Amino acid sequence: MPLLTSFNLQCRNAPDRPALIEGERRMSYREVMLSTERLAAHLAAWLEPGSRVALAMDRGIDAVIAILSVLRCDACYIPLDIKNPARRLRFIVDNAVVHCIIGRGNPPEWLDTPALWLDIDRLPESAQSYYPPAATDPEALAAILYTSGSTGTPKGVALSHRALHNFADWAARTFKLNADDRIASLAPFHFDLSVFDLFSSLSAGASINFVPAGLTLSPSRLTAWLREQRITVFYTVPSLLGFIVLKGGLTEQPLPDLTTLLFAGEVFPTPQLKKLCELLPDTDFYNLYGPTETNVCCYWPVDRKRLANEQPIPIGHPACGSELKIDTETGKLLVKSANNLSGYWQQGQLTEALEDGGYYRTGDKVSLNERGEYCYHGRLDRMLKCSGYRVEPAEIEALLMQCPEVAHCAVVGISDSASGQRPAAALVLHPGGQLNAIVKTVKQALPVYMQPCRFSVMDTLPLLDNGKTDYQILQRQLERY
Amino acid sequence: MKKKLRDFIFQELVFIAEPNRFGDDDDLLEAGLDSMGIMRLIMYIENEFGVTLPDTEIEPDNVQSFNTLERWILRHKNA
Repeated sequence: MPLLTSFNLQCRNAPDRPALIEGERRMSYREVMLSTERLAAHLAAWLEPGSRVALAMDRGIDAVIAILSVLRCDACYIPLDIKNPARRLRFIVDNAVVHCIIGRGNPPEWLDTPALWLDIDRLPESAQSYYPPAATDPEALAAILYTSGSTGTPKGVALSHRALHNFADWAARTFKLNADDRIASLAPFHFDLSVFDLFSSLSAGASINFVPAGLTLSPSRLTAWLREQRITVFYTVPSLLGFIVLKGGLTEQPLPDLTTLLFAGEVFPTPQLKKLCELLPDTDFYNLYGPTETNVCCYWPVDRKRLANEQPIPIGHPACGSELKIDTETGKLLVKSANNLSGYWQQGQLTEALEDGGYYRTGDKVSLNERGEYCYHGRLDRMLKCSGYRVEPAEIEALLMQCPEVAHCAVVGISDSASGQRPAAALVLHPGGQLNAIVKTVKQALPVYMQPCRFSVMDTLPLLDNGKTDYQILQRQLERY
Repeated sequence: MKKKLRDFIFQELVFIAEPNRFGDDDDLLEAGLDSMGIMRLIMYIENEFGVTLPDTEIEPDNVQSFNTLERWILRHKNA
């Protein structure tokens, strides 16, 4: 079933219900449909089925209209993190081979081909204001989400209509979303949590309420907003929920309307989760698990009675109709799911990402407990999780090695009580090399969550007997540093 | 107090190649202090200086620079 079928039905059956709410701005399902038809009519002149369209816009009403219009044209959306450094944005736009970039205002400086830019505030006059929905093939790509890549550059996870629909539909049914729900949207659209906020909400006829930017710096203002907007469902990362436990002011003022709290992206430390459960006694909590490549493949409805401080919570049971397997040798989790990616998008082409039989091999070590629930035991490769974002040390190392001052380098994750892990870099410099220039390059090329929080200059990197870098020793050295 | 704040922030939260050139009014949020950094900073301040910072005052304005941080902490220390 195409991704937008349920949304189109909602527009027909309940056109006056609120769909999108951003500050004072509100749009009903009918208004969303009309705006989508209008923008799609414009885009149709630029695009053909399968075209890629980058979005250089922040989370919000206009970005949703743009996404829906792109999908209506049978094209695929690529949400950019506009806070990313220019170099990274340019890489993604080039790598994806986009046909169009939708944004606001003049083309940004980082864009080498301004002719690709479409300013949604200045759409050219068009006789057409309607574009019929495309008869989309479920295997056609709907979105490409770029994430940190272990080969040294960002990689695009290509997701089909089938994949997004399978997850969105499962989530809407499992969490019993309905037209009375008010769902908070906080995750940026390039982050896979947003698939729930966008498509599960709209397929259920619920409203998407955009959390104002900046509230993550001020947890009590965030909880006040959740209360005022009477948000019923919120999907976010544990590190933010940890901040809310600490300083969210929930002791004085609870959140009586919040029925469902979903979290994913990293491990929620049990003591913090227990506190949050006490602060929100009437809310149902769910731990969702899965990499961007599979979206949610495992989930655990939090059983409050079972929360014990020293015990990590399980990731639970297969979700979204996934078939899970554990590699007996390594303990690695393999996932076969209708959510699975179609492949990685590289240089304008799809490259194979699944194994024989359609399994995606995660780098996560898991086991089954005595209740038959899956439990997570960390990564088997070097990937880091920093405030819910995945970060490949190899991508940071590849950048560092481009600096003429650097002779050798290694990046490891050091533990951080708030964000889980943060990258730290050890460097061996060429004679006369200065750290300043390197740090400047890093800040210009990497998003903040990928920037090492420590740089340590060493004479040599610690090595194993086989001559490879000893990351374990290095991690201990950098944590002590 | 500012020295302690500088040491903690530059060693634990935000890497600056030349911390001595970072002024007391320079923008910490622009330098890369994010929400998780603010959370750790608040835990540090409460432990180190024996103050309780009210939930409603966790605002970008108060954590913007070393000067705003110091003013904010002193307000609660002397209260």
